[in-house]
Amino acid sequence: MAEKPKIRELLDESACAHNKSKQSPCNAPTPGATSGGCAFEGAQISLFPYADAAHLVHGPITCLGASWETRATKTSYPGRDLTQMGFTTDTSTTDVVFGGEKKLLSAIDYIMTHYTPEAVFVYTTCVTALIGDDIDAVCRHAAEKYGVPMVPVHAPGFVGSKNLGSRLGGEAALAHLIGTREPETTTPFDINLIGEYNVTGDLWQYAPLLEELGIRILSTLSGDGRIKEIRTAHRAKLNVIVCAKSLISLTRKMEERYGIPSISLSFYGKRDTSAGLLAIAKALGNEGLIERTKTLIAREEARLDGKLQPYREIFKGKKTVLNTGGNKTWSIASALQDLGIEVVATAVKKATEADRQKARETLGESGVLMMNPGAEQAKIIDDTGAHLLLAGGRSLYTAIKKGIAFADVNQEKKKSYGGYDGLLNLAEDLKNALENPVFENVARRAPWEK
Amino acid sequence: MGEVSHRSMKPLQVNPIKLSEPMGATLAFLGVDGCMPLMHGALGCTSFTKVYYTRHFAEPIAIQTTAVTDVTAILDGGDYSIVEAVKNITQKVTPSLVGLHTTGLTETKGDDIRQVASQIDFPLVWVNTPDYEGGLESGWGKATRAMIEQLVEPTEAIDDSKVLLLPHASLTPIEVEKIKEFIASFGYEVLALPDLSTSLDGHLGEKQAALSSGGIRVEEIRRLAEAGMVISVGDSMLPPATALQKKNPFLRHRHFAHLQGLAATDALVELLLTETGASRPHPAIVRWRMRLQDALLDSHFSLGQTRILVAGEPDQIAGLCASLHEAGGRVAVAVSTVDSPQLEKIQAARVLVGDLEDAEALGDACDLLVTSGHGEALAHRCHKALVLRGFPNWEEVGNQLKNDVLYEGGAYLLFECANAATAARGEGHVGSDRSDRTVGSNVTE
Repeated sequence: MAEKPKIRELLDESACAHNKSKQSPCNAPTPGATSGGCAFEGAQISLFPYADAAHLVHGPITCLGASWETRATKTSYPGRDLTQMGFTTDTSTTDVVFGGEKKLLSAIDYIMTHYTPEAVFVYTTCVTALIGDDIDAVCRHAAEKYGVPMVPVHAPGFVGSKNLGSRLGGEAALAHLIGTREPETTTPFDINLIGEYNVTGDLWQYAPLLEELGIRILSTLSGDGRIKEIRTAHRAKLNVIVCAKSLISLTRKMEERYGIPSISLSFYGKRDTSAGLLAIAKALGNEGLIERTKTLIAREEARLDGKLQPYREIFKGKKTVLNTGGNKTWSIASALQDLGIEVVATAVKKATEADRQKARETLGESGVLMMNPGAEQAKIIDDTGAHLLLAGGRSLYTAIKKGIAFADVNQEKKKSYGGYDGLLNLAEDLKNALENPVFENVARRAPWEK
Repeated sequence: MGEVSHRSMKPLQVNPIKLSEPMGATLAFLGVDGCMPLMHGALGCTSFTKVYYTRHFAEPIAIQTTAVTDVTAILDGGDYSIVEAVKNITQKVTPSLVGLHTTGLTETKGDDIRQVASQIDFPLVWVNTPDYEGGLESGWGKATRAMIEQLVEPTEAIDDSKVLLLPHASLTPIEVEKIKEFIASFGYEVLALPDLSTSLDGHLGEKQAALSSGGIRVEEIRRLAEAGMVISVGDSMLPPATALQKKNPFLRHRHFAHLQGLAATDALVELLLTETGASRPHPAIVRWRMRLQDALLDSHFSLGQTRILVAGEPDQIAGLCASLHEAGGRVAVAVSTVDSPQLEKIQAARVLVGDLEDAEALGDACDLLVTSGHGEALAHRCHKALVLRGFPNWEEVGNQLKNDVLYEGGAYLLFECANAATAARGEGHVGSDRSDRTVGSNVTE
């Protein structure tokens, strides 16, 4: 067991310069005390939404067998939606012993013959990375044979977290797709949407507004995306990163290589959506566009306010406790406030320092920032008389014990809460939660416990 | 029994229904009370599995990972990551058992987990489950066999009142409970290994547990060799049964390929009557047999004109096909995730190992699909009737209470399939021969 200290040393790489300012991002996950997805999953998240490309997972069955059809990323692609299909080489013992390259090439041949996709993404996984299959060579060979992009994606699960995997997915697109084709026309208002995956149709909540303003979505990575569009992404005037810090390295490299500036924003709730639209207009730097955007924002906010009015009456005086993580700690809080709900506490345990700052600004001085929400939230519900707990499924028990309404914060994976109209979906879901007698009914004592 | 193809000739899987051995092992360990399944692999192996079962059962799933990284993949033989994982798990909770199972990654790098396990001073069962071999059923079976080999104490004593049930991976929590109760009604004490009937049956507890919240207890597993009879259900459960017999030479083993439909349930009743010397089973069982007979007649008109495609795990589709066949359902195609001795026995015109792309190619031959939630898109695209069975079903809630086994479950299954096929044909039930034959009876339209 002489390796032990060495491994520890390698896992805790204090020499990384960025470790000085951040909370040791080089730290490897702790065995036995870790949750969250792997790099392969991250790559899947960032690239699978291309519905006109086949996504071939070169690995044993868990990697794809357990994960295909898990994400509700929508597409308007008129052909067969390849995002919702599963392709895997299903690595066998023979492949592990003799190598899986031949099988991989046959699999690509099969896909090209039967599905004629615009591109094939080939994802390496832990096992095929470990046995050393040269997916680059296979992809090169197949690309020459078929004349369509074959994109090797080097994000085997063991290299790191989902976040890193998304970044590696972005790298693959940059290396093999972006800049490989010229757009038919360009406009001064061409943008790329980076990190918008159109989960539950989020993108479609605000895309029509961009169109109305004359802003053209040249390409996306990768929600409702098309391969032939992402190949022209180098001609955009602006990269818009939507809620995805992981792809900052992609936009930085696009700025260095193609001079495309980038901005980062979110379309969650009324204030974020308005601010986001205006930020795009300002970044494109056209006075007329900025004015048009302001007019449109005023119109949309007025329209939304009208529709929200009946909800605001229902939500009047209602208090909620929010228990989630990351940027949702403040973005959902801000959306709730747009609905007229008072957010008395939000969990900041799984949030960065910057997110905590924003949470404080959003909630004001009287709001509670929970560092240990699991233990704190029950007492806060008692103290504030909160009516609703908005949290992950794990907290359902707290709500039932306290006899208050519960809404699953991850519901957004099924239904869009994005843009202006997404707020109406959120309002409807919260109204339903508050009106639902189920929480009281479930909490009824059994006759034999009375 | 028709034409059987034991392996696919394609270089890939397209829309796979196959699941992995480690996922089967995880599920088996979740059938032990207070267990923490520990998957030895990268983060994703565990997180995919956790999310998959959480969505299927709509329940929290206890599982941890050894979190193998690129660095530990090369430098560590499991000594570091497994020992460290057990240490970190036991700092927070006290599992009754840690269920250590490997993945393709850690089998490829060749970790000797048996040796690592011997260094760990905590109740732990280890099992090799590379996901480039076998599938869900074999993973479940291997984990069960490992629990028997490593936990059960050898004995020569026999407790004739005790029966052990070895259920295959696809039996739902309620199905395991129904089979246990059925056997218990003959006067036995019945245990199941693994036992999902009290862990993933979807019960509201006091709080969310960090470990599996129910299942067979470890102390009960230790004393399983004294059971007078072990009943295995599903061919994937033969190896665990054999392992248990090695623990006690006097233990008697009885095997059922499945427990679906009239004939299979009759066979179980015959066994239990012979064993107990009773002349009749409990009146409720007698009643349910009559109801199943009636269900067979009520559903035969619809099923007799329905061509069916069944896809899923071999032990499950064997039962489904047998049950549907009894009512005249025309099982045209049975698609199995993996090869199995079951395939030769399956009552279908064509049996093959394959995926949903193969199912789609043969879709013209079928009106009704009986398969997992992955079949939803296919059914929609090709306008087929659909009955959801097997893993995963993310489309519906209540999977843990779907019951297809024995006389009772058999009746529910036939009705559901007959109704789905009828609805898809756009017909009502008017003209069913039962209504002609029994005028004035309580046939509901």
